[in-house]
Amino acid sequence: MPKILDVKNLSVHFASPQGHTQAVDRVSFHLDQGETLGIVGESGSGKSVTALSIMRLLPSPPAGISSEAITLYPRDGGSKEIEISTLGESEMQRLRGAEIAMIFQEPMTSLNPVFRCGDQVTEAIRLHQKVDAEAARKQTLLLFEKVRLPDPERIFRSYPHQISGGQKQRVMIAMAMSCKPGILIADEPTTALDVTVQKAILDLMRELKEESGLSMLFISHDLGVISDICDRVLVMYQGKIVEEGPVQKILRNPEHPYTRGLVACRPSLKHKWHRMPTVSDFLDNSRHEAQVVSADETEQRRKSLYDSDPLLQVKDMLVRFPAEKNWLGRPVKWLNAVDRVSFDVFQGETFGLAGESGCGKTTLGKAIARLTDMDSGQIIYNGTALHDLSIEAFKPYRRDIQVVFQDPYSSLNPRMAIGRAIMEPMQVHKRFDSDKQRREKAVELLETVGLQADQFQRYPHEFSGGQRQRICIARALALEPRFLVCDEIVSALDVSVQATVLNLLADLQEKYGLTYLFISHDLSVIKQMCDRLLVMNKGKVEAVGYPEDIFRNPEREYVRELIAAIPGKE
Amino acid sequence: MAIYILRRLGYGLLVMLLVVTTISGIIFLAPVDPAQLTFGQRSDVSTVEAKTAELGLDQPLYMQLLHYLKDISPVSLEPDKADHLRKYRYHTLFRVGNEQLLVLKLPYLRESYQTGRPVSEILAEVIPATALLAFTALLLASLLGIFFGIVAALKAHSRWDQLISVISVFGYSLPSYVTAMLLALIFGYMLGAWTGLDIQGSLFVIDDFGDWQLRWQNLILPALALGLRPVALITQLTRSAMLDVLSQDYVRTATAKGIPARIVVVKHALRNALNPIVSAISGWFAALLTGAFFVENVFNFKGLGAATVTALLNFDIPVVLGCVLFTSVVFVVINLLADLLYAWLDPRVVMR
Repeated sequence: MPKILDVKNLSVHFASPQGHTQAVDRVSFHLDQGETLGIVGESGSGKSVTALSIMRLLPSPPAGISSEAITLYPRDGGSKEIEISTLGESEMQRLRGAEIAMIFQEPMTSLNPVFRCGDQVTEAIRLHQKVDAEAARKQTLLLFEKVRLPDPERIFRSYPHQISGGQKQRVMIAMAMSCKPGILIADEPTTALDVTVQKAILDLMRELKEESGLSMLFISHDLGVISDICDRVLVMYQGKIVEEGPVQKILRNPEHPYTRGLVACRPSLKHKWHRMPTVSDFLDNSRHEAQVVSADETEQRRKSLYDSDPLLQVKDMLVRFPAEKNWLGRPVKWLNAVDRVSFDVFQGETFGLAGESGCGKTTLGKAIARLTDMDSGQIIYNGTALHDLSIEAFKPYRRDIQVVFQDPYSSLNPRMAIGRAIMEPMQVHKRFDSDKQRREKAVELLETVGLQADQFQRYPHEFSGGQRQRICIARALALEPRFLVCDEIVSALDVSVQATVLNLLADLQEKYGLTYLFISHDLSVIKQMCDRLLVMNKGKVEAVGYPEDIFRNPEREYVRELIAAIPGKE
Repeated sequence: MAIYILRRLGYGLLVMLLVVTTISGIIFLAPVDPAQLTFGQRSDVSTVEAKTAELGLDQPLYMQLLHYLKDISPVSLEPDKADHLRKYRYHTLFRVGNEQLLVLKLPYLRESYQTGRPVSEILAEVIPATALLAFTALLLASLLGIFFGIVAALKAHSRWDQLISVISVFGYSLPSYVTAMLLALIFGYMLGAWTGLDIQGSLFVIDDFGDWQLRWQNLILPALALGLRPVALITQLTRSAMLDVLSQDYVRTATAKGIPARIVVVKHALRNALNPIVSAISGWFAALLTGAFFVENVFNFKGLGAATVTALLNFDIPVVLGCVLFTSVVFVVINLLADLLYAWLDPRVVMR
């Protein structure tokens, strides 16, 4: 196959008052016509920066881009090559969208909120093709049909906030395809989406590619997704390409230690590990053989877990939100976020709560911690009916039931040193008599979650996502809770970091006998972590039981779809 | 939408009611006798008493307030007597019983204690000049402020940005009457021969032949003086809003689909940055309409600000109440318009 894009020795650095960061370091690769090339790596590895610098979308300064050559070859076998790195801004502008199009990670923020979806697509068409408004409109509607948007006319008129995340990404794809580009760069296009939506989008992209002979550069941190869609893959680590080759070869026979770690640290659907393998195990070559939990061990654990009475019983929980209000502001229609859900959680257990966004799993977790009100139902914790307690009487139970939230970036106060943040709940609940003791406890907790005592005075922005999530866990542990609600706590983290946080949770459970309500949209993580799981859909229970039963033999169609949508299953 | 507007107007009425009540409460507490003020030095006891009765000043405070509210209400029940109805401009809706009429009328703001002229006439005289002044000042401020703000945001942290920042901080810290005096001094006096502008003067002037004349040039300096601080504020607001918006994903999307930078900035970015600017402009517009007193005073520009303060100094209660009432109407209406504008600019805004 002839090449369509050739990148030679691309380097990107960022200059800041603090110094000089080399984001991409002499990267060379090529893209063949009709090929899908994956770039995989963790956040900060330089994969997005590489893509953005091909499109010249990086603000410069602070970015400094240099390359020997970035050459775009003509699609139709003509001889006119374009050297992108020497193009002027106005020539570059004509190239963007027409020859190379791009879709981005966040469909929620990638569309302009104040313009209608249709107008945002026609704008690109009219710009590059010089057609009139009516022709552009017709083309757009056709494209919407092609990306399988329901009711194209309605989507055309809708503003981005009126359609779902998956639909927004379809609009983005339609926009990118509108001028029939030769190359499509997709920067984590499905990371922010639910698994089933992700699968549909991947299917669509594959189809569009085959239909139009498009070449794709597909960026993702998720090897599973990459293996589903790509022909060839580049592995990037610290700004360099460390390995390159056909996807199947890389997955089966990774050579570089980083790649080996990346392949190994994904939660497996086949078996449960004692400890998740992590990337650092491979990088410093101190790898212990990852041990699989045997059937006997599982049996034994279950015996000891389910011997006693449940620690938490939820009965017929109903939480609803007003969906429509009349002119007096009185709700006339309700949306049942949690629709009469019942389950038990036992002491020391990890109980998984799975489902897609909007299924009510977060609301359920919040209702248990009483961060949102229940309309009816019962919550019985350790024999006490929590739902009957006044706010004042509930207070002691707040110590027992703690929550760790999804986004480690926004759940820490940026102006509070992390040590203070860990001490704060102890002060509120008057745990210990003096701040000195609380400080000692906070330091101890920092060390427990794998941070250092001398980081006590640091502020959240100085930490990475994984470290921040550790801080949040330490803060939750400050009150010595027995029950921890973990709401999507690894969703915002890279796969490689995810494994280390999951290992930490397992260690803490062993050490303190904690009980987890583990909420996640990622079934493979749930399967790795949980003793039992509950699958929710639209507020209702779809399945509840042991993971192996549900995975092997899903009764409901919805659960089957959910399992089928997990990327990268061999 | 219609329900929303109606409800907002309802709240507006409540606001005006509160304003009238509070202001009358404060004024009536003041130790002056309006009836006495009307006659000045020519007063004797009997005329003052007659006037007191005529104005209803001998009645308890709440009765006075109720009478005033009835006067300004556009719909009211009035006794069918010619000398009572004389002061209103009304239209009879229908008769209630034998002696009462339900009338639709223009709000009656009473007459000035000082001059005996109807308050509505006084307001009608000063409002157009002030409105025009405020509008010009703010139009100028918006155009310049948004332009400078965009430039500063696009060239963030450059020399241009710093220069604009320094000038706008300076402009913002300068009280408007100081600006007014400086402008009057420089362009009206020192460069007066060259600019052809006067140091002082109103928009409407009576010429030597006793005719009203419109003097557009008298608008220039007051508008500049009034507009300077808003320019500074709008510049800063636009700069920070634009900086925020320019780093958004959808701006990158727009660039990625090949839209020229100029259109990306003006169409995709600016529209998203407008909300804080609209709220600043609307708040300032309402304030300028009513509070341009200092600048009006410096330029001897006959406007609402000047009228309000003169009335306050003379305890001319009906005029004060009329001015304040007008002010509150302006605030209510402009706030409503601003909210409607938000919703038009950003479809995510829901009007409830």
